Amino acid sequence: MTELAPGSSITTHGKIGHGGALSWRRIAAWTVWPSTAKWLGLIVIILMYIPLVWLAVMSFSDRPLSGIPYPLTTEHYRELLGEFNKWGEPLYESVILGLIVAVVCMIVATAVGRAIPRLRKPGGVLLVALIPLFVPGLTMGAALFIFIRSFLELRLGLWSIFIGHLVWALPFSLLLVLIIAVRFDHRLLEAAEDLGAKKWRRFWNIEFPILRPGIIGAGIFGFLLSFNELLRSIFLRGSETTMPIYNWTMTASHQSQVPIIFSLSTIILAVTLPVLGGFFWLLFAKLDRS
Amino acid sequence: MSDKVQKSLIVGLRARYSNLFSRDWVIPTFIVVWVIIVIVPLLIMVAHSFFEMKQYRVVYDASFKTWDSLIDSGRWISAVRTLRIVLVMTAIEFLVAFPFALWLAKVCKSKVTKAVIITLLTIPFFVDPSSRTIIWRAILGRNGIINFVLMETGVNNEPIEWLLFSEFAVHFGILAPYFPTMVFPIFLVITLIDDEYLEASRDLGASKLQTLFRIILPLSLPGIVAGGVFTMVPLMATWVEPEMLGGGFVNLLGPSVDAAMRELKYPTAAALSVFVIALLVIFLAVLILATRRLGSIGDIFHTMKR
Repeated sequence: MTELAPGSSITTHGKIGHGGALSWRRIAAWTVWPSTAKWLGLIVIILMYIPLVWLAVMSFSDRPLSGIPYPLTTEHYRELLGEFNKWGEPLYESVILGLIVAVVCMIVATAVGRAIPRLRKPGGVLLVALIPLFVPGLTMGAALFIFIRSFLELRLGLWSIFIGHLVWALPFSLLLVLIIAVRFDHRLLEAAEDLGAKKWRRFWNIEFPILRPGIIGAGIFGFLLSFNELLRSIFLRGSETTMPIYNWTMTASHQSQVPIIFSLSTIILAVTLPVLGGFFWLLFAKLDRS
Repeated sequence: MSDKVQKSLIVGLRARYSNLFSRDWVIPTFIVVWVIIVIVPLLIMVAHSFFEMKQYRVVYDASFKTWDSLIDSGRWISAVRTLRIVLVMTAIEFLVAFPFALWLAKVCKSKVTKAVIITLLTIPFFVDPSSRTIIWRAILGRNGIINFVLMETGVNNEPIEWLLFSEFAVHFGILAPYFPTMVFPIFLVITLIDDEYLEASRDLGASKLQTLFRIILPLSLPGIVAGGVFTMVPLMATWVEPEMLGGGFVNLLGPSVDAAMRELKYPTAAALSVFVIALLVIFLAVLILATRRLGSIGDIFHTMKR
């Protein structure tokens, strides 16, 4: 099979070479390469999840910034409920903003995503659409701020955060729709036209069901990318406060607020992780069938 | 008017009418809006870097004063530090991600394992940046779990100070969040390499090393370039990690942009941002030129289409 298959017998080759070549071959023939590669990668993945697990554990701790979680308490959650008037508004704003970004992403990504494969030269359009992926978030935020606030002299608000989020989330949504749209067989639509189906019916009954996983993915990505966006929002906020901005200001400047942020983040993770897990499970199940 | 003319008129009108609602206008509209909200702001930012701030107003008078002050104020030191950290971390991510992607694409045979790993790699994109970073303080800090365990077990008598609020902490905090962007493109490209190429290479007597350097590496170049770009882009202006784990000791370009914005020095922020983008463009150019020697990228897309 591949050259990295475990246990394959290349060791005999090692004896043929001399000097430098010999040692190189020995290194190449080292049969633990595949498992080294696998475990190094898995360790980094584990490093991604340690903070999430520890966050959840420490949200129940009496001393959340200490080394040991004991003694346990649900005090922070009670405190969190008591301070609803502080974080309720940012949470509400982030949810509404996320929903708007999700809907706009779904519509625009579908409209543009199904049009791009039909272009004669899709490369240029795609490149322009993906430009925000090549600009760091903080830089894009600064650019939009200078454009809107300093150049156009407009008032910042939720609308400017929305533009920042859209610029960030749409390229991902577009890619998700495109993955499916490029494989779409246009003869299906021609057949439907021949059979007398009207334009809207052709879209709704044929194209939409096929594109659906991509469109739903575009919505979920749009919502979650917007919901957790910090680098652009921080400049475009005006006087608004979204959830990540609230978390940032609380964790960065108020040590005493950290435990509450831990419990709040734990609750949000407990909601979003199953949604994402479910989405991927459905996506892979669907891809596996087709 | 004859029936024929009338009919053709209707057909013509219908064609024009349906054009209004067809997708012909979708792409042009999208491009116009996108240029206004993406490209125009970036260009205006470049222009702003040549202006000055006087009495909290931007003076639209082109000069290099802002750029001069950047050099005089010593902000270039943070630029150099940023560059060093970006290069080191991109190299580390690549060294871990390439073998891992190769394993995931070619050695790992279980579909379920693959799906689980891909899911695990995607989820961190959607986690609030400040809370997942601040928690490292409770792990690496003076009283954190690592120092607690080391002191309880008697390995150390004193807490290790350099674990937090140091360059080590910033590097460490960056490692995991920026890993997926390196793995994904390389994984996708290696998946597309036909197993038959690898078999052919072996049948023709190539050693594993030769197969790696002559077949796999050249064929996965577009993925490596993409992974490098997608890792470097956010890294160049990384902000949360140095602010929260650097403890003020590790000043990078990202926090500098933020500080300049808060001091209402928009041209300075613009110049720093332009500098970030210029560096990225240079990196990209070097990356493409350097990899061209190993094989043309165009050739590879050709192979993929097969």
